[in-house]
Amino acid sequence: MSPSSAAGLELRQLCRQVGDRRLLDRLDLQVAPGECVALLGPSGCGKSTTLRLVAGLDPASGGQVLLDGVDLTGRSPGERQVAMVFQSYALYPHLSVEGNLDLGLKVRGMAPRERQQRIDATLELLQLGELRQRRPAQLSGGQRQRVALARALLRQPRIVLLDEPMSNLDAQLREDLRPELRRLLCGREQPVIYVTHDQQEAVGMADRIALLDAGRLQQVGSPRELYTNPANRFVASFLGRPAINLLAIEPGRQLGLRPEHIHLADDGGVAARLLRREWWGHQQLLWLQTQWGALRVLTTAEAPMHPEPRLSWERQHELWFDAQSGARLPPP
Amino acid sequence: MRLLVLLWSLGPLLWQLRTSLLRPEALVAPLREGNPWTLANYQLVLCGDPPFWQYLTNSTLVGLATTLLTLLLAVPCAYGLQKLRGPMRWGVGLALAAAAMFPTVLLFLALLEIARSFGLANNLLALSLPYAALSLPLAVLLLRAAFADLPGELEDAARLEGLGLGQRLRFVLLPLLGPALASTAILVFLASWNEYAIALTWISRSDLLTLPIAIARIGGGSVFTIPYGAFAAATVLGSLPLLLLVLVAQRSIVSGLTRGAVKG
Repeated sequence: MSPSSAAGLELRQLCRQVGDRRLLDRLDLQVAPGECVALLGPSGCGKSTTLRLVAGLDPASGGQVLLDGVDLTGRSPGERQVAMVFQSYALYPHLSVEGNLDLGLKVRGMAPRERQQRIDATLELLQLGELRQRRPAQLSGGQRQRVALARALLRQPRIVLLDEPMSNLDAQLREDLRPELRRLLCGREQPVIYVTHDQQEAVGMADRIALLDAGRLQQVGSPRELYTNPANRFVASFLGRPAINLLAIEPGRQLGLRPEHIHLADDGGVAARLLRREWWGHQQLLWLQTQWGALRVLTTAEAPMHPEPRLSWERQHELWFDAQSGARLPPP
Repeated sequence: MRLLVLLWSLGPLLWQLRTSLLRPEALVAPLREGNPWTLANYQLVLCGDPPFWQYLTNSTLVGLATTLLTLLLAVPCAYGLQKLRGPMRWGVGLALAAAAMFPTVLLFLALLEIARSFGLANNLLALSLPYAALSLPLAVLLLRAAFADLPGELEDAARLEGLGLGQRLRFVLLPLLGPALASTAILVFLASWNEYAIALTWISRSDLLTLPIAIARIGGGSVFTIPYGAFAAATVLGSLPLLLLVLVAQRSIVSGLTRGAVKG
C-alpha cells in the first residue's frame, strides 16, 4: 500500500527508457473516477508509451502507477483489470464476434451461463446482436471498433484505456461515434485515458487534456484552460487551428496572437498588406504581411476586404513567450 | 509458357508412372503384338518380403515422429527468438541460418558413432532424433517469420485479458499460425521421407528400412538386369502419400487466416 489515498488513477514520476532513449520522462498525472483525460501530442511524444505502462504491457523504468491508492506497478497486465481498445482493434481474426468476447471470460474460469449472460448484455448495449456469428474480416471498420469496445467493457474493468480508437475510421464516422463513445465510457466509475493526436477528438471526448511532447508533460487542464492560458509556446501552437501567430516583436520575446483574435480596422493599429485569402465557407483565412513577418487572420466570410488593412487586437489576448526556451512570460 | 513449366516439372513424374505400368519388354522396344500395359511391377513390389507397405509404415512413423518433435521444439524456440531484442537476436538468427545451410553429409559419420555408443541403431524412433535436429533450424526460421507477421497488438490484447503464455499460444497465436505450421510440417516430413544417408547407416534390419533405402535395394538380386519397372512402381507408391498429404493440407496452406486481423 502506498501512503496516497486518492481515488482514481494516479501516475507518479512515471518513466520509460529504452537504451539511451527517454520515451517518457517523469510523468505525473491524476485521473479521477469517471473522468476522461485525453493524452494529446504529436507522434512519438510518449502518449502510447504511457498507455502501455498503465496497462503493464511494458515495464516502467521508474515511477509508479496507483489505482485507488494501490500500487499496480509490479503487476502483470492480466491482474490489473485494465481494458484497452487498440488503434487496430486487435480482434482475434479466427474467432467470431462472440468468440472474441468469450475468450477472456473463459480463461478466467467463469461459468458458461454467466458468460453468456454478460455477452448478451454487452452485445445488446452496443447493438451488435445480429453480428455475433461474424468474423472480424466480415465487419466494417465501425463495427470492428464497436466489437473492440464491447470486449473492453465486458470485463467490467477498473481502468479504461483507448489508444487512438478512431483513427482508422473516416472523418464522418468519427464525428458520429464521439457522443456514443462518451456515453458508453465516461461518467462511470472507471478513470478513462484516451490517446489521440487529433485535438478536435481530444476536445470532444475529454474532460481534461494532458499535452505531451518529447516524453514530457507540457500542461494538463480543461480544453479551455489550455487554449486560453497555455503554459508555453508548444501548447499554444499545438492547440487551435489555424495555428497561433508567433511574432518576434522584441529581442528575446515572442508575441503569440491567435488568428481569431486579430481584427481588421479602418485606421489605427498595425499596417499590413494582403498576400492571399483562403475561403472556408463560414470564415476566411487571410495571409497578411506586416513589419514583423507574415501572419494569419481568421475573419467572417463577409468581412469587407481592403488591400492594405490595419490590424488590432485586445491586450488580454496577447500571449508572451521567451524566444529561446518557449516558456510563457508575463505581459510587458 | 506456363504449359512448358508444367511439363518440365511434371514430365519425369508422368514418365515414371508410365514406366511403372509397362512390361519390361515394352520398355526396351515397342511391342509388335500384345498389350504392353501390366500391373506386374506393382505386384512384385507389394508382395516382396517384407511387403512394401511395411516400408511405407516405417517411413510414415519416422516422418510423423520427426515432424512432431521438430514442431514441439521449434514453436517455443521461434516464439522466444521473435521476442528477443538487440544483438543477440541477430546473432542467433545468423547461427540458425548457418546451421540450416550445413551440409548433412559431413555429419553422418559422427552420427553413426553416436548411434553406436548410445545403442540407437535399428530403432525407427531414434532415427527421428537426428532428423529433427537437422530440420530444426529451418523450421525455427520459418516459424519465427510467421510469428513476426502476427500483429503484436493481438498478443497484447490477450495479455490484458489475463491469458498466460500457454493460453496465448493455444487460443490466439497457434490458430493464427495454422498455415505456417502446416507448411513447415510438410517440409519437415518431406525431408525425413527423403533422407538417405543416415537411414542407410543407422538401420540394417530389413523390416525396419525406410522407403529410400528399400527402393534402392529392390532388384539387388542380379547385376545384369535393372528392374526399371519395379523401381518406378516403388517410386510411385512412395510418392503417393506425399501427394495426398499436400492435397489435404493445401487449403490450410493457402488460406490467409490473418486477413482482417488489423486493417480491412
